[in-house]
Amino acid sequence: MSLPRYLGRKAAWYLGALLVAILLNFLLPRLIPGNPVDTIVSSLSRGGVEGSQLHAIHAHYVHEFGLDKPLWQQFVVYLGHLAHGDLGVSFAQSPATVQGLIGQALPWSIALQLPAILLGWLVGNVLGALAAYRGGWFDRGAFLGSLFTSSMPYYCVAILLLYLLAVVIPVLPPSGGYSFGNSPELSAAFVSDALTHYWLPFLSLVIVFVGGQAVGMRSMAVYELGSDYVNYDRGLGLRDRTIIRYIFRNAMLPQVTGLALSIGTLVGGALITEIVFSYPGVGTLLFTAISQNDYPVVTGLTLLIAVAVLVANFCVEIAYGIIDPRIRASSRGER
Amino acid sequence: MSDTAPAAPLVRARGLRAAYRSQRGSDVVAVDDVSLELSGGQVLGIAGESGSGKSTLAAVLSLTARPPLSVLGGELTIDGEQLDLSGGRRPPRTWRGSVVSLLPQGAMNSLSATTRVGDLAVDVVRAHRGRVRRADALDLLTDRLDALDLPRRVVDSYPHQLSGGMRQRVVTVLSTLLDPKLLIADEPTSALDVSTQRALTELLRELLHRGLVGGIVFVTHDLPVLRAVADRIAIMYAGQLVEVGDTAGLIDDPRHPYTAALLASVLVPEPQIRTRRVGGIAGAPPDLAAPPTGCRFHPRCSLATDVCAEQSPPLLGTIGAGYSTCWWRAEHPDEPLEARL
Repeated sequence: MSLPRYLGRKAAWYLGALLVAILLNFLLPRLIPGNPVDTIVSSLSRGGVEGSQLHAIHAHYVHEFGLDKPLWQQFVVYLGHLAHGDLGVSFAQSPATVQGLIGQALPWSIALQLPAILLGWLVGNVLGALAAYRGGWFDRGAFLGSLFTSSMPYYCVAILLLYLLAVVIPVLPPSGGYSFGNSPELSAAFVSDALTHYWLPFLSLVIVFVGGQAVGMRSMAVYELGSDYVNYDRGLGLRDRTIIRYIFRNAMLPQVTGLALSIGTLVGGALITEIVFSYPGVGTLLFTAISQNDYPVVTGLTLLIAVAVLVANFCVEIAYGIIDPRIRASSRGER
Repeated sequence: MSDTAPAAPLVRARGLRAAYRSQRGSDVVAVDDVSLELSGGQVLGIAGESGSGKSTLAAVLSLTARPPLSVLGGELTIDGEQLDLSGGRRPPRTWRGSVVSLLPQGAMNSLSATTRVGDLAVDVVRAHRGRVRRADALDLLTDRLDALDLPRRVVDSYPHQLSGGMRQRVVTVLSTLLDPKLLIADEPTSALDVSTQRALTELLRELLHRGLVGGIVFVTHDLPVLRAVADRIAIMYAGQLVEVGDTAGLIDDPRHPYTAALLASVLVPEPQIRTRRVGGIAGAPPDLAAPPTGCRFHPRCSLATDVCAEQSPPLLGTIGAGYSTCWWRAEHPDEPLEARL
């Protein structure tokens, strides 16, 4: 099979998966008990609005959001809008558009996670490979430490860090993406303010990620270390660092999958971390949207996540071919 | 111990001992006091059944022993350079590959699947000669391939793109790229069919003739292959060498009962052997964690007497010229063994 045909067939599979994802993304939020209009109207009733007016407002909103139509008609309308690149208007924060809300939150999530994931991946894998190769006390320390941090839930690490560095020794601000009263702009003062808010969530992500990657890499590398080629390369007098490079390359495949999937789910925001630190990212946006039954925002975000994960997976399949010549060969039918 | 070899041998190993650390804390000594010599330009075959310690000996000689195997003692002299292996001392990295090189068993897995042959060659040259230009290192490889009539395309190939026999020959070229003085071939032919075995043994002979390799220690359980490739053969049993001699002499007139038994268990389509029954060797190789006292072969030997179980047999001959270790032989120096089996 030629490479373009191989890629074309893969692309068709991914397209099918995307269609299923679109359907589920639309349906699942709407199956959550409760109704976004009820939420909005009940908040109005606390403001002292009269019963008959409430009914009128309720009916108006239901009509406005198109919730009086049958579900399949709503889906058709949604597909029509989606085809024009329109994700709709938020119910809870109307008239803000879903695109606008995501556009505000996404940069925060990416700026928080992309460096954390890349750094964590690199440090974790080097640590894992070194631990496997060195063995002894270095291995035991690195392995136990990694196991400990990787098996701790995100929120534990986050809360521990928060307690240590913002409460016991208050060197870093405990929450938010920037100080209260500040507003996002491109100035030195704002950037430095945002950076001090950045460290805690960043650290909590890196620590957990390093641990997980190191544990995975170590077990892969231990397996590779016992293989014949390592013994042969030693017999040829290769330097340790050359041998580690070979091991790294062979042990890397599952790790690359992990990296790509992390980058794929990155757009979904680090949900728990962002909530703990009240960080203004996608995770916080998603969390509020779910609690308010804000269908368009939830559907828009889950669609974004689905697309990102699919694209990441597709990239992994191509990257596999580059890293491992055997997969390239079998995908081209060279064998 | 008298050493009457006229010129200093290329390789001189004395008192090699190596053990596997077992879980229970006791050591399994798989190579016990092995001494051998190898002259330049020669192939020394080491034969024995599974578990005799021959692959362990190969790991010790190629300086690639690693846990759980540890070298307890011994001394290795190659071309005048001496290396003390006792006390867990780590041999220098640069010896491996340039002084002693390993030709491993099963070339299938001896090459990293994600590394091109050429890239490995560049790394090997750079590991020993420091900063060498990539093109120069590749020239060394292509020159060697040309000289040995191997196709140049292998330089850009990944291991999976080569056939089994070609891969074994490529590994041989890589192992000898830096003209090592001693090549340790550890069962290089065991995964090959007969015609590729022949191609490989001819390649090894070619390397010796051109002086690209000083000498070869060829470890195998395959006596017919050894007969074709080796100048001298050493027979290993239970971690010790029981007989060393010239190939023809050892096969025609074995000095040790174990050698004779081993030869009798091989199918060879030769006229004088065709009429003989193929016999096995009764019993099983001993547990090296608790080897038999005296001569280690005595529980399976049809010629054993009381002394065999009590005292270690004498060394009849010299390490340089050839020897056997047997009480029966000490008393019957000229009697052929074949008739006694």
